[in-house]
Amino acid sequence: MNLKENNFNENVVNVDVLVIGGGSAGTMAALSARRQGLDVALVDKAGIDRSGCGAAGNDHFLAVLDTGPDWDTPEAFITWYHRLTQGLVDMNIPPKIYLSRIKNLLKYLEDLGVPMREDKENDAYIRTGSFGQPGEYFINFDGRNLKPTISKEAKKIGVKFFRKINIVDLLVNETGVIGAVGFDIRKGDFYVFLAKATIVATGNVTRFYNNQAGMPYNSWHSPYNNGGAQAMAFRAGAEIKNMEFVNYTLTPVNFSASALNAIVGMGGYIVNGLGERFLFKHHEKGEKGPRWIMPWGVYWELKEGRGPCYFDLRHLSEEDLDHLINNLLPVDKNTFLDYCEQKGVDVRNDLMEVQISEGQLPAFLGSVSGINITPECETTIPGLYAGGACTVAVGSLSGSMCVGDTAGEEAAKYVINGGGGRLEVSPDIVEGIKKSIYKYLSKESGFKPCELEEKLRQVMTLYVGIGRSKMGLETALAELDKLAQLLITAKTENLHELMRLFEFRDLLEVSKAVVRGALEREESRFGISHYRGDFPESSKEWHCSLHQKLQDGQVVFKRVEPYNL
Amino acid sequence: MAILIDEKLCNGCGLCDVNCPGDLIFMDEETRKPKVLYPEECWYCGACRMDCPKDCIKIVFPLTSL
Ligand SMILES: Cc1cc2nc3c(=O)[nH]c(=O)nc-3n(C[C@H](O)[C@H](O)[C@H](O)COP(=O)(O)OP(=O)(O)OC[C@H]3O[C@@H](n4cnc5c(N)ncnc54)[C@H](O)[C@@H]3O)c2cc1C
Ligand code: SF4
Ligand code: SF4
Repeated sequence: MNLKENNFNENVVNVDVLVIGGGSAGTMAALSARRQGLDVALVDKAGIDRSGCGAAGNDHFLAVLDTGPDWDTPEAFITWYHRLTQGLVDMNIPPKIYLSRIKNLLKYLEDLGVPMREDKENDAYIRTGSFGQPGEYFINFDGRNLKPTISKEAKKIGVKFFRKINIVDLLVNETGVIGAVGFDIRKGDFYVFLAKATIVATGNVTRFYNNQAGMPYNSWHSPYNNGGAQAMAFRAGAEIKNMEFVNYTLTPVNFSASALNAIVGMGGYIVNGLGERFLFKHHEKGEKGPRWIMPWGVYWELKEGRGPCYFDLRHLSEEDLDHLINNLLPVDKNTFLDYCEQKGVDVRNDLMEVQISEGQLPAFLGSVSGINITPECETTIPGLYAGGACTVAVGSLSGSMCVGDTAGEEAAKYVINGGGGRLEVSPDIVEGIKKSIYKYLSKESGFKPCELEEKLRQVMTLYVGIGRSKMGLETALAELDKLAQLLITAKTENLHELMRLFEFRDLLEVSKAVVRGALEREESRFGISHYRGDFPESSKEWHCSLHQKLQDGQVVFKRVEPYNL
Repeated sequence: MAILIDEKLCNGCGLCDVNCPGDLIFMDEETRKPKVLYPEECWYCGACRMDCPKDCIKIVFPLTSL
């Protein structure tokens, strides 16, 4: 194959519903659209069976089950979720998208044989609570094979799989979004997908902040999620919101495992270098407080010279330790015990040093950043729907799956009711897009995507990291503009690098949105997520969502009042 | 370093290539054995190892991540 000649095959695929991203949400979306009898394409740059954040498994399943106690009711969940998100999520979304579906989803997965009942003796769920929840919303489960299980179902009912196809952009005409274009990362073939409804579900955004171990792919969430959905939707004119709130968590030092939910859920402590628990200084619930409190607390301990900080599990009972070590940690991150063994840490008896992870967006339950959607998962552009971690709805695994399920169902309804734009693009436009993709393969000089990306991370970490100021943010914008210029002349040696180049392009788009939002929002909120040294307090005036969209090539901001219950 | 594959045990089924979410593992056309072409882009997720029928993949963390 001579890559420089660019003589790749061209495929045009016509479907009713196109789903971009075959992770937890996208697979659910494809399943529910297909169940309505429609022709559905599920496209992913990876292999789908194991791809995305759930590639190697999940261990906590957020569920409200109405088992009796007050906390286990939709009302209690909504009250808590409203508080957690400070009203910046549309509160019409959780009942419609999540609460009405979660019990069915749980039953569906159990019917498929996903082991949800860790209490084998009593054939019962083990449930734990964390992050300020009023009760024990997280079912601890063995989700190592969850992703391949639902993928198999999708395949079985006739969803058309397109594996290893990197989607580069949405196709838009005057009628709205009419599909997307991409290329096969192994063969190079060019793909044009035309669809009456398109759902973006490419997950969250990683790899745009420096990793503590200096390994950019050693990220907390999947390093192969790079804001494709957010960037593509934004370029197509859709609204994104609250992009300035970058999320951090605590991870074991130099390692990319999440682990925090499992550890605080089981009652683990977080202590400083003096052996003191310090989180109560920041929140009355200490380790049981909201997630953002933990990196915030660790930040100040380190800054004030009381580091390093540690997970301390030594007070847990043998039984709890067994559950944590056998059922949670290695399910949450398949390589967790390899890390412990190779580092020489004994979880039962040693303190485990922690660090503040690299920033990513959005990341966890309670995140308020991403594509703005309605309770029907519509974006602000006709024909374009969104689901999963790229949206502002209900995060987490089960939340993302429910949002995906809704997106598929609603997109199908739209198609069945006659929705869908004019599925035509002129051959000239297609040829132009094709050239704009493959041109990077024939460049003789220019920066490689990894070099540009490294610079991006440096800029974001220096000026848009923890602690921000007007001056720093303006510097970042100028530096990002320079990177945009350098991208035009970048070069790639092969198809793998070509994919990385388009990942960089989306990261740059998202980074610019983060910086613009951070400059605009003259206050601080959600701890280190958005801490402006020049405006260190939360302000009443800024207790609102900040939306951004592209209109005639200009970015337009809109402030939206918080939602009340 | 990333992952180590014991070529003697490997049956060349290609599942690790299909499963790696990062497009890092490629089946060599001649030897029909997997090659890790981009070890520095590894997430250390373990997805390649989980379904390997020969249990011949070892995860090796680089010094800086320990
Ligand atoms: C190790 C780990 C453990 C976790 N454990 C839990 C847990 O126990 N409980 C919990 O509630 N949550 C957990 N989470 C979070 C949870 O997995 C995510 O919230 C959820 O998977 C998000 O689903 P998604 O479909 O939006 O994104 P993903 O499942 O990440 O899917 C995104 C998909 O899009 C594809 N993609 C990206 N860009 C493109 C493009 N340009 N073209 C084509 N395809 C593209 C990717 O390959 C990927 O397959 C965990 C996350 C990680 C990383
Ligand atoms: S550990 Fe994960 S990212 Fe690394 S090679 Fe295996 S599947 Fe790919
Ligand atoms: S999955 Fe295992 S047996 Fe199959 S090709 Fe990969 S290493 Fe070899």
